[in-house]
Amino acid sequence: MVPTRIPASLAKRVTAAALALASLRAPAALAQSQPDDELGRIPSESAPASPPPGSAKVHHRAFLESATELELRRSALDVPIAAPLPPALEQRLFLDSRVEWTPLSGFSLTYSGRPELRAADHIPFPTHENIRFDARELFASWRPLEGIFLDAGRINFKSGVGLGFNPTDFFRTRAVVEPLSVDPSALREDRLGTMMVRGQFVWHGGAVTAAYAPKLTSPSRLYQDTTLPSIDPMLDRTNAHNRLLLKSNFELGEDLSPEVLLYDEDGSFRVGANLTRTFGKQLVAYAEWAGGSQSSLTSEALSYGALTGSLPAIAAPASSTTSFQQDLSAGFSYATESRLTFWVEYHLHQAGFSRQDWQSWFAEGAARPALAPLLWYVRGHALEQQVPLSKHNLFLRADWTDAFLFNFELTAFANVDLYDGSTLGQLTASYAVTNLWTIALLGSANFGSRRSEFGSLPSASSVLLTIRRYF
Amino acid sequence: MSSLRPIAAIALLLLPLRARGQSAAEIVARADQIRNPDHAFRFVSTLTEYVSGRPQAQNVLAIVSKKDPGTHQFRNLVRYVEPPRDAGKAVLLDGRSLWFYDPASKSSVRISPQQRLIGQAAIGDVLTVTLSIDYVATLTSTESVQDASRASRSCWHLDLKAANDQSTYARIEYWVEQGTFNPIKAKFYSDSGRLLKILYYRAFENWLGGLRPTEAVILDAVDSSRVTTVKGTDHRPQEVPETWFQREYLPRLQSE
Repeated sequence: MVPTRIPASLAKRVTAAALALASLRAPAALAQSQPDDELGRIPSESAPASPPPGSAKVHHRAFLESATELELRRSALDVPIAAPLPPALEQRLFLDSRVEWTPLSGFSLTYSGRPELRAADHIPFPTHENIRFDARELFASWRPLEGIFLDAGRINFKSGVGLGFNPTDFFRTRAVVEPLSVDPSALREDRLGTMMVRGQFVWHGGAVTAAYAPKLTSPSRLYQDTTLPSIDPMLDRTNAHNRLLLKSNFELGEDLSPEVLLYDEDGSFRVGANLTRTFGKQLVAYAEWAGGSQSSLTSEALSYGALTGSLPAIAAPASSTTSFQQDLSAGFSYATESRLTFWVEYHLHQAGFSRQDWQSWFAEGAARPALAPLLWYVRGHALEQQVPLSKHNLFLRADWTDAFLFNFELTAFANVDLYDGSTLGQLTASYAVTNLWTIALLGSANFGSRRSEFGSLPSASSVLLTIRRYF
Repeated sequence: MSSLRPIAAIALLLLPLRARGQSAAEIVARADQIRNPDHAFRFVSTLTEYVSGRPQAQNVLAIVSKKDPGTHQFRNLVRYVEPPRDAGKAVLLDGRSLWFYDPASKSSVRISPQQRLIGQAAIGDVLTVTLSIDYVATLTSTESVQDASRASRSCWHLDLKAANDQSTYARIEYWVEQGTFNPIKAKFYSDSGRLLKILYYRAFENWLGGLRPTEAVILDAVDSSRVTTVKGTDHRPQEVPETWFQREYLPRLQSE
């Protein structure tokens, strides 16, 4: 019999397969051991797991906080500011609580508020001004069908995807009462809700929301630190206009979920949109835009001042021209492997101060000190409206979790006026001593020349110490 | 005939592999079925952070997971239960979108998978994921490794490469026990190739139709003093409406 030779090509493949098989089998014969220190790190027993939360009808979050603030003031200002100045020393003690109660399936009641005791060097003690109560939210929610919600009451209705400025957060105006910090994240935590009725339809591909906030009172003067009501719902801050908001977000492909908004306030109409997208596993880009017909910041402020009696009637502009003005907050966040996250965000407030506006502000204020209260009123109005003062700003933020120490967090942000380079900077060090106790030290400063946005502020720097106990 | 013997012998050697018919992708998919059931479910996840062997902090999350019928990848809803300073916060993972909601600020923020939300663990570590969807697997070898209790396990050693830019890790080394398809161990690498974490699966128990791991032990490969255990308890089937996986629903989650 003639021997049959394996074709050369097949022989090569079979040989390769046999060799591969041999190499696969060989390591199995060896017991591969991990370094002892690796297995030695594994806890022999798990810490006991918490009992399941169950279907609790009441969800709450409450903490008691003591806040002590010391402020250092500038000795001289190019544009003098009228009294009362912010306190140089202030002590606050408050109980912050949020409760959600679901007595029946599909029906819930929500409360959020902050009673407070405060003492400051510019407030007499004891008086009613030492006691305050911010009733932030009190509303009922009903879900008649899956995906359909009806809410009524005082609701803190926030919109927008930006971090330092939210052009589409139309219910933000005058809602921040007495923040502990100028960190935009902190500003949102002590904010009054607006009395409204709201309907929402949610489906997997998106949501549609309609909210109507009626005018319940007349516009009021801007509050000073020493004229804050003691126990008052302050509806004049949140319900001094008839407001209607319609918004919808919807899926556009796998990674895009834009949101569009239509807003009307006493016949003044604005549109808005926001968009976010991730790039890889570390970067999130976002943009938030709003536009509508409005006057300049100065005109708007002076008109409001004259209307509410904060300023003499003569201060109101003779004629207020309006034009289409835009606001934009666009930026990105970037998270590193080492627990650091950065944000870079550009702000445009087209109605805000231009470089010439700033020059005029300083020139008029220095030349005619009698105008100073009016000039500072414009800046105070911008603060109450939660809008940037200048047209162009840059917002930077960094957050470092477990920095140097476990449970120690460092947060820093800077708000930069792109006209003059002046900066509001803040650094916060926060440490969770236990699951219930947190202590934080916060330092902020306004940097810049005397004739710059932040360099002209009476406060040069401040230090804040907070001690918080959760329940 | 005798000339056919070498061919037959080699064919016989090769036959066991062919008879098993286990490709790398199939192994990872079978291990995914071991780790998680196919239907929607909820559970409580307790994360305990250890530093130098001592427990330092504990986070408790209530998680609802449901597969997307189109992509077969899990969508997740996470509600923070403990500690009190985090109670009420929520995270939504729906496809490529990760949203974080804080009831204190009433803000919903888009976040990246890399962001650290719970101490050592990236949010991608605690969510229910289907590795066979997010990673492309190749079979490296079969070898014996010690599991978390130092018992030797005969395993397939697989190399997983990220299939898309949303995967939490660029590369994973994965050991799956032969025969049972139990996941035993994994190593996670960054984009730069740096070893970030080593994970051991342990505490296999019967829940929702299978013997599945209930605990993952994550060893920090950068800081050797740090270990995180992720313990799953109270696994229950859960009817989950599609409306829950919408960012506008996050503020409503507490009352569910």
